[in-house]
Amino acid sequence: MLRVEEISFSIGHFHILQELSFELIAGETAGIIGPNGSGKTTLFNTLSGFHYPQKGKIFFQDQDITRLRPYRRSRAGIGRVFQNSGVFREMTVLENIVTALEGKTSLWKSLLYSPKRLRALREESMSYLEQISLADKAKAKASSLSGGQQRLLEIIRTVAFGAELFLLDEPTAGVSPRMKDDVINLIKKLQEDGKTVLIIEHDINFIKEFCERIIVLDQGTVILDDTPEKVAGSEKLHEIYFGSTAA
Amino acid sequence: MEYVIHLCILISIYLILTQSFNISFGLGLLFNLAHVASYAIGAYATALFATELGANFFECVVVSMLLSGLFSLLIGGISLRLEQDYFAVGTLAFSALVSALLINWKSLTRGVLGIPGIPRPEFLSIDFYNNLNFLFLSGSLAIFVLIILYLLFQTPFARALKAQAESESATKALACNTALICNVSFFISSAFAGLAGSLYAYYINYIDPSSFSLTEMVFILTITVTGRPGSFIGCILATFFLVLLPEPLRFIDMSPGILGPMRQALYATILFVVVYINRRNIFPVKRSV
Amino acid sequence: MDILPQLLVNALITGSIYALASSGLSLTYGLLRILNFAHGHFMMAGAYVFYFFVVEHELALFPAALLTIIAGAIFSFLALKIFIFPFTAFSFFLAFVTTIALGTLLESAVSIVFGVNVKSLSTGASFESIEIGGVYITPVQIIIIASAIILLSLLACVIHKTPFGRRVRALSESEHAAQALGMSKNKISTLCFTVATLFAIYAGVMVGYETNLQPTMGNAYTIKAFAAMILGGLGNIWGTIAGSYLLGLIENLSIGLDFGGYSLPAGYKDAFAFLIILLVLLFRPQGLFVRGGRKF
Repeated sequence: MLRVEEISFSIGHFHILQELSFELIAGETAGIIGPNGSGKTTLFNTLSGFHYPQKGKIFFQDQDITRLRPYRRSRAGIGRVFQNSGVFREMTVLENIVTALEGKTSLWKSLLYSPKRLRALREESMSYLEQISLADKAKAKASSLSGGQQRLLEIIRTVAFGAELFLLDEPTAGVSPRMKDDVINLIKKLQEDGKTVLIIEHDINFIKEFCERIIVLDQGTVILDDTPEKVAGSEKLHEIYFGSTAA
Repeated sequence: MEYVIHLCILISIYLILTQSFNISFGLGLLFNLAHVASYAIGAYATALFATELGANFFECVVVSMLLSGLFSLLIGGISLRLEQDYFAVGTLAFSALVSALLINWKSLTRGVLGIPGIPRPEFLSIDFYNNLNFLFLSGSLAIFVLIILYLLFQTPFARALKAQAESESATKALACNTALICNVSFFISSAFAGLAGSLYAYYINYIDPSSFSLTEMVFILTITVTGRPGSFIGCILATFFLVLLPEPLRFIDMSPGILGPMRQALYATILFVVVYINRRNIFPVKRSV
Repeated sequence: MDILPQLLVNALITGSIYALASSGLSLTYGLLRILNFAHGHFMMAGAYVFYFFVVEHELALFPAALLTIIAGAIFSFLALKIFIFPFTAFSFFLAFVTTIALGTLLESAVSIVFGVNVKSLSTGASFESIEIGGVYITPVQIIIIASAIILLSLLACVIHKTPFGRRVRALSESEHAAQALGMSKNKISTLCFTVATLFAIYAGVMVGYETNLQPTMGNAYTIKAFAAMILGGLGNIWGTIAGSYLLGLIENLSIGLDFGGYSLPAGYKDAFAFLIILLVLLFRPQGLFVRGGRKF
């Protein structure tokens, strides 16, 4: 479903991504870990289309998307949940979902106002909100939600939008321990629905729970790409996080 | 020949005006659009002190520089707490406010009628009505100021100013008092702008608000941007280049009302082209994705 | 005190023009995060184009308006492509400087083509005052107020009820999240910028009918639009509109009222916008209508 071929991306002298390659098949769930500065979020930004790699190609569902704009990529099926909340704070919780549901309509159609359609969309949005138990907060401003609730909103919003590939950037960062389970359950539900998921996380034990595969990044390139067990036990991993184990 | 002397005098005045702008805008990236207001204050101070109070050259120059410098503290007081977008608008408002005061405070400035009859400087019994003598005065002042500013460019102060431009928080983290540095750079820039204004008043012997409009500010901006903000030599070369560039237009037969706008259009085009060509590195990018 | 109602009506007129001018600027700022210095110059140039059709070529109102709208739309598309889009990826200053260049170019172009003398769209006789309840108002002024209300209400409907409006709000808040939900920043910004320019041109035409036109008026209107935006909070459209009316009120009251026998000369009217900007920036930079604490 996703094929990244040798992408390199630099800003000035900073070579953030260096000949990075990996592949994802449909329905797979993979985790991305690596020390700070290894290029994880930049990788996601490149996949989403906010950066264009100087070298290499990106294929999504066998289509070359390397030079596509962000909105075209999302319309093609790439969804994104951001490290710093991407929830629309000034809008109500319900509006956030409605906006996502309308995401794929064309620009000119979006200028028309149809109360009937809006009502239908609102109902559909409520059903999504019920899935994350936020139906009672529908009319509240999104900024009034807690960090965990906002994260849930962002994920379900991407589902409502109709994404096939989910790029989740540290989905549990800043989420209270109580809500972490809700986030985990939501991610598991994505897996059940056959979505392809790529998660950036720091906590390897957390990802072990549902990732069939872990990709380890260091200094902009893939160091390891294997099952969680093999990665957790590997010496290379220890090296990049803690320095050499040479006694 | 008189014409050449005239151009040289103008260039010497502009060299002071633009290089002083280069300190706060070029090095520090402080988008001070009120620089032309400092210029105006210097010119009007000299004009009023020379005509109404009969003050001599040195007194006028000192007063002009002081008043302009003090004006800058006003700017700094308000603007320096603000970030990029607001800061530029704030200085723009200052500039426009000074312009409006110059036009409307008729009892002080005679409004759009301007202040005529400003005498040439008098000292050492040199006849400064002879333009060549005046050129020596303004030229040597310009060289003097340029030397001072060149030395200023080499100091740690200049380096700190530059660092502040690229990352204010990083500079603060290194215990530099960025507010102080910015205020000082404003003061220096404004004081020298005041000097330029004083010379201008002494040379043209008549000033009115129209010489200190936003159009003039755009001109100063164009020169500094063309010469690369922060580049000492670039600013000098750009001053020569841009003051002299539209002069050939004078020799083309066109109605007088068109000359001014044509100069304006020329500068605006050059400003745009220079910014377009250098867009990747002309200002450090402060924002992030 | 009985000139107060007249002053209030005048404030409404001035405020309406400012509101039409600054709402577009606020929209542009919200989407592109740039301050379009040439916005006042768009007003001026657009009004001159309309003048060209109506006065110099004596076209009827409707065809002249249509041609002006088409010219305005084409112009705003080109202005965006040449003077703004190439620079939005970089520092904010770049777009500010290029719009300064654009504004200056417009001013000089209009000066060359039309001359620097004052021009007016109104032909005097047909714009006599009517008296309504002790207040004097001309038909043009009624149109200004009414059209402002209509156009701004239309804007409100679009922004708060249509899907397009939701996209604009989403992009203004969180451009990356919005793009990740299928919204094209470029297309939406272009459309909004064009609408903003057309509103500005309309405001300029109203200025031409209500007072007169001069190539140099661009600067003053840009700064006033900035003042309205700062009063209302940058990026907050409704705050900006409220700020516009407030600005109109302050301007008219300040020169209209007698402060114990002393009244300000009319020439200072413009200076108030500038003074307001500075005062607000000094005491409440985030704007009067924004809940405190927002990072600016």
